[in-house]
Amino acid sequence: MHEEWTDRLSEYLDGELPADEQRAVDAHLRGCAECAAVLADLKRVVARAQQAGAAPRPPSADLWAGIAAGIDSQRSAKPSGERSASDDAVAAFSDRSAEAFARRRAFAMKSRRIAFTLPQLAAAAVLVAAVSGGLVLKFAGRPEGLRYETASDNRRDAQADSAPGAQPFRAAADDRAAADVDRIVPVSMADAQYDAAVADLEGALKQGRGRLDAATIAIVEHNLQIIDQAIAQAREALAGDPANTYLSGHLVEARRRKLDLLRRAAALTSESD
Amino acid sequence: MTLSADPPVKSGLDGDVALAAAGDPSAFERLYRTHVARIHSLTRRMLGTHEADEVTQDIFVRTWQKLGQFRGESAFSTWLHRLAVNVVLERRRTFAIQRERIADDPAALDYVTVAPARADLTVDFENALEQLPAGAREIFVLHDVEGYKHREIAGMLEITSGTSKRQLHRARMLMRKHLQGD
Repeated sequence: MHEEWTDRLSEYLDGELPADEQRAVDAHLRGCAECAAVLADLKRVVARAQQAGAAPRPPSADLWAGIAAGIDSQRSAKPSGERSASDDAVAAFSDRSAEAFARRRAFAMKSRRIAFTLPQLAAAAVLVAAVSGGLVLKFAGRPEGLRYETASDNRRDAQADSAPGAQPFRAAADDRAAADVDRIVPVSMADAQYDAAVADLEGALKQGRGRLDAATIAIVEHNLQIIDQAIAQAREALAGDPANTYLSGHLVEARRRKLDLLRRAAALTSESD
Repeated sequence: MTLSADPPVKSGLDGDVALAAAGDPSAFERLYRTHVARIHSLTRRMLGTHEADEVTQDIFVRTWQKLGQFRGESAFSTWLHRLAVNVVLERRRTFAIQRERIADDPAALDYVTVAPARADLTVDFENALEQLPAGAREIFVLHDVEGYKHREIAGMLEITSGTSKRQLHRARMLMRKHLQGD
């Protein structure tokens, strides 16, 4: 067989064989078309990899809002006496970015008409992460939960995308009269505000639970359990190493994931109407 | 609220890097936009599509944290890229994926036997990459895409250079099957 030769072709190609082996492979290649063809293929693979390295592809979505929010969370963790003007600039910047991101996200989700599959929901919980920087719709007295904005709302918001105060979510047309009870509250990762937002969303989810099928509920609960475990583990680790920035970031990230999952699940209850 | 003085812009660093190191988020956003494609491509190729967004965000947040440590002794892009590789490898360790990294996976050969349509070669290259066994993929990406040497890869992954070479060859042979229709 040719394996004894082909196994050395990558090193041959990279010029990493000892000189005598390099010469031996050279001699073999001159008389073996099969191995020469493999070598040609390997050269093409390497060339393709180099092309890929030279032409990186950007992410399909803008990730900046989540980064700005992450930066902001670090700033928030600092004692107030250590905050600088640049910290406050980051905070303002982060808020604007998060709102713009949330509007874009709402627009994208609306265009897909919220067709969550179960794997998508699970993936959203675990993988998408809460990059919106913690914007949550609090809905007083609206057990039907959330609705994403209409296309006309999106067009209007797209025109006003630079307005920092624009709201990422709106009541749907049939709930427009109730829109005045909806308000956007930017949620910091500070415990009290975060806990309140989580409690609100958990309440909404509980009320809308009957609109979801059992499999969806199981996935949501399973993912919440995983996230809660991650939060508990991060807290425990931080107790022993409070200055560890990686652990801090991990905790913030896990808390955001929980908020994001709850928000999506609550939205799903209204979309199931 | 009493504001402390912002740190001065560090001399010796180029424009936006210096501004970002001094705490200017707008400058840091510009750096993000300049470098995100390469960093996201690295994370996507090393960890897969599903992890890439989140890990990319983590990388840039950590970059912001560590900018004060950047001395300008290398290009910012080089420093950032190395930081990104470290975060990616750390993430892999965190999820214990590395345990399976060097495990043989003959079934992987079956994943990449379909020749791609010519119009989609780039995408198919990325898809084929994502289907490589994790250990072979990360070495292929680090060596052939990112240009690291076996010695450097061995140090990063705490393996021998010989293992790195074997995994690279394995990855190339798998990719070769995919590109045979090219």
